[in-house]
Amino acid sequence: MIARIAYAFREMWASFRRNLTLTVAAILTSAIALLLVGTTFLIQRAFDNLLVQWRGDVEMIVFVRSDATPEQISLIDQTIKAAPTIIDVEKLQYLDKTQSYEEAKRIFVGDPVTLSLLTPDNIPSQFKVVPITQDPELVRSLSEQYRSLPGVQDVALAEDEFQVISTLSRFVRTVTLVMSLVLLFVAVGLIWNTIRTAMFARRREIEVMKLVGATNWFIRVPFMLEGLLHGLLGGIASCGGLWVLNSAWTNGVAGFKPGTGISSLVVPSGYLTGVMLMILAIGALVGAVGSAIAASRFLDV
Amino acid sequence: MIRLESVTKRYGTETVAVRDASFDIAKGDFVFLVGPSGSGKSTLLRLINRQEQPERGDVWVAGQNVNQMAESRVPYLRRNMGNVFQDYKLLPNKTVFENVAFALEVIGKPRHVINRQVPAVLELVGLAGKEDRFPEQLSGGEQQRVSIARAFVNRPLIMLADEPTGNLDPATGEGIMALLEEINRTGTTVVMATHDHRVVNAMRKRVIQLDRGVIVRDQERGVYE
Repeated sequence: MIARIAYAFREMWASFRRNLTLTVAAILTSAIALLLVGTTFLIQRAFDNLLVQWRGDVEMIVFVRSDATPEQISLIDQTIKAAPTIIDVEKLQYLDKTQSYEEAKRIFVGDPVTLSLLTPDNIPSQFKVVPITQDPELVRSLSEQYRSLPGVQDVALAEDEFQVISTLSRFVRTVTLVMSLVLLFVAVGLIWNTIRTAMFARRREIEVMKLVGATNWFIRVPFMLEGLLHGLLGGIASCGGLWVLNSAWTNGVAGFKPGTGISSLVVPSGYLTGVMLMILAIGALVGAVGSAIAASRFLDV
Repeated sequence: MIRLESVTKRYGTETVAVRDASFDIAKGDFVFLVGPSGSGKSTLLRLINRQEQPERGDVWVAGQNVNQMAESRVPYLRRNMGNVFQDYKLLPNKTVFENVAFALEVIGKPRHVINRQVPAVLELVGLAGKEDRFPEQLSGGEQQRVSIARAFVNRPLIMLADEPTGNLDPATGEGIMALLEEINRTGTTVVMATHDHRVVNAMRKRVIQLDRGVIVRDQERGVYE
């Protein structure tokens, strides 16, 4: 058993070095594809920071003054529920001060100055309103009505504030996702071709191996390991690139004026680690798929 | 050991390589398949080690139906067979020792077995002392001995030889035949395809003669004609 594993790794390494030009091309392509995949996830997560308070079709947020009395709050609640034909009462959500503060931590992740001004005491609590109606004018007129209620600090409409960002975010996601899928496909193809070439270069050995009774898996495994290594090395390279990109971006954004939305566009390092692990896994998968297809198709040399 | 039952093999729709061939080869036999080029000798050998599958009929080897065998069992079938070719099929970038060891390595034999069996078989084929040469540094006869060593190192039940003397001068060819006969005496069944009259006539073994894919003669202690 140990002899077989040693054999597989030795053969993998020999073949890996023999065909350096194609190998480098395959690794670079998968690195770039994976870098784009990672960037897609980071961009999405950064946009999510801005959009987190508008999740779940929320179109209007009624901010309640931090010093509002329970009576004022229940009056606001009743007023909103009084329009069940316009507002989805089932989905109406009230975030108390603690919940609102948790959400603010996410929104102002890149803006510690603003965040430090907020406490669970002075933060406004909020009603998140999901409308049933398709007519934005109806929602707008309701918002005017709510604004005049006692205890209401402000009413924010998604249409005014975040429609643009949400559209932009969706657009960027689609474009980067399509591009990374195309590049991943190219990476699989290049690894496939590299392995095919490696197998063709060793067709005499493969012929002898088959004649003396080596199993197909025994012949295949070194080639599949080689492809796996291509993908994995591409993944490692793209992790490095992703880390550099993210550090540069985070540092650059830190210089922006507090309070502008841009400084929210950063990702926590825990999330970055998760994305990197995922990229390594995708890289290994891409390599394994490309080489597995080649190794099963070109065994009859 | 080897039995063919009404085997027909066609390449494409027109060319009939083997037509309705039947024979039975017992354990320890030495059999020549003779006939001109294209008469189906090589195809018969390729049917026996399942490089080809027959269109009709059955091929039995060591009690197993070869053409109904699962693909995954084929490697284990081939471990019971040694193959020798006219063009040797040695790996040019490996030494004599490595070429022979390769056959054991790729069926998962441990190092200590390889280090014991390879020198023994090289001794048997008369190549002791040439372990570290590369194939291009050897004569044709020596290269064929390496290829026989590789085929025999795992002590197979059957040796299939396709024109093993085809590229060799008569004297060297005789040496190879002596070696195959010695291997045959250890109980290994030998099936050899050839169109070399001298070899067949000198050995006086069983002869199966083919003509355009049809068996026209099957004779004990035969000559080439």
